[in-house]
Amino acid sequence: MSDERQLFQDVVMPHLDEAMSLARWLTGNRSDAEDVVQDACLRAYGAIQSARGANPRAWLLAIVRNTAFTWMGKNRPKGVIVTDDDNLIEQASLEMVDASASTPETALISMVESEDLHRAIAGLPAAYREVLVLREIEELSYQEIAKTLAIPIGTVMSRLARARSQLVQRVGQTERERRVRP
Amino acid sequence: MNTPRSWSSREEAVLLLNAYFDNELDAASALEVERRLASDASLKAEYDRMSALRTALRAAHGETRAPDDLRRRIAAIANAEAAGTTAVVPMRTKPASRYAWRQMAAAASLAAVVTSIGMLGAGLGPWNDTQLAEIVAGHQRALLAREPFDVASSDRHTVKPWFDSKLALSPKIVDLGEAGFPLVGGRVDVVGGKAVPVSVYKRREHLISLMAIPHASASDDGSGAKPSTRDGYAVRSWRGRDFDYSAVSDVAEHELDEFVARWRAGAKAN
Repeated sequence: MSDERQLFQDVVMPHLDEAMSLARWLTGNRSDAEDVVQDACLRAYGAIQSARGANPRAWLLAIVRNTAFTWMGKNRPKGVIVTDDDNLIEQASLEMVDASASTPETALISMVESEDLHRAIAGLPAAYREVLVLREIEELSYQEIAKTLAIPIGTVMSRLARARSQLVQRVGQTERERRVRP
Repeated sequence: MNTPRSWSSREEAVLLLNAYFDNELDAASALEVERRLASDASLKAEYDRMSALRTALRAAHGETRAPDDLRRRIAAIANAEAAGTTAVVPMRTKPASRYAWRQMAAAASLAAVVTSIGMLGAGLGPWNDTQLAEIVAGHQRALLAREPFDVASSDRHTVKPWFDSKLALSPKIVDLGEAGFPLVGGRVDVVGGKAVPVSVYKRREHLISLMAIPHASASDDGSGAKPSTRDGYAVRSWRGRDFDYSAVSDVAEHELDEFVARWRAGAKAN
C-alpha cells in the first residue's frame, strides 16, 4: 500500500462517522451530507500530505466544514447567510433575552429525539449553526472560532448564546407539540 | 480568557453564563458566575437547559453513522485515485449500494493494474486484452461512484448533445425503454488514454455501460458482436458506424445479447 493510501486509511477512515455528523448538522440532511463527505474525502486525499503532524480528527473535520460551506454556496446560494449580516441576526434573536414562560423545562430538552434535534439545528440561521458546530462538534475555543470565521470574539459569544437559546426554544416547542398530539 | 465587564443586563448575564459553560472565563470571573448561579434560580435553570442541550447534542452527534456504501465509496477513493485513469464526476440521486464488496475490491485492484499496463496496449486496435480490461474497469468504477453516470437523463436528446458538448463526439444513442432497457444517462470514461462517451442503460436493477470508441471506418459492417467475459462481466463488442461499441454488464448473457441485437437494429433504423 502506498504511503498516501496508508495515510488516508489512518487519518480519514476512523473519523467518517463524525465527518458525516458534522456535514449533517451543517447541511441539515443526510443525502446532502453524504455528497459533502464524499467531496471532502476527495479533497482530503488530494491534500493528504498536509495531514502529517496534524490532529487527524480536527484536520478532517475542518476539511468537511469548508467543503460544506463551498457546497452550500454552490448548491443553494440562498441558504447561505452572509456571516456579517449581523443586523438581521441581532434583530431576529433578541427574544433570547426574554426569559418568558415559554422557556421549556430541562427535562423536556433531555427527552428530545435526535431527529427533532437535527431538524432544529437545520432550522437555525447559518451563522448560528456555524459557531454551534465549531464549538460542540469541533470543540474549538472561542479564540479559534473567531479566527476560523474571521469574526470578533464578542460576536462568537453572542451567536453561540443565541444558537443555544434558539435551539432550546425550538426543541421545547417540538416536545410540547408531541405531548399534545393524541 | 475573558473578563466580564459588568452584570448590567440579563443578556450579558446569559453571555457570561455561556462563556462559563464553555470554560472560557478566567478563575475570578468563573467564581463570580458560580456565586450568581447559587442565588439566581432563573440563571440556574438556564444553565441546566444548556447542559441538557449539550448532552442531547452530543448524543445526536454520536448517533450519526456514515452509511456502509458511503464508507465503501470513500475507501475506494484512495485506490481509484492511485490508478488515476477515469475522472468520475459524482452526481446525486440515490446511491448505488447494491454491489457486493468483492466487486468493489476487484474494481479497485483492477484499476491499479490497468494503469500499469495501459500504455502497452495503445495502438493495438480495438478489443485487445488491455482495452477490454479498461472497458470493464470503466464500468466497475462507475459502479463504485455515487452515480454510474455524469449526466442523468432518460432522454437521448439530452444525452447526445451532452456528449457533443463535452467531447465533440456524437455516438448513436438508441431509445430502448420499451424493450426494457431504459436509458439512464451518460458519462465519460478513459479508454486507451482517450476520453470516450459511455451511455448507460438499465435492465431491471442491472446497469449496462455502452462505450463508443471512435474509429475511422464509416459504417456498421454487420458482423456479429464479439463476446467476451472479464471478472464476471459480460462484454459484447462490435463495429458500428464511426465507433467501435462495447457493452458491459452483469446481466445474464442472453439479455446482453438481446440488448445488443435491439440496439443495433435501432441504430440502423434511424
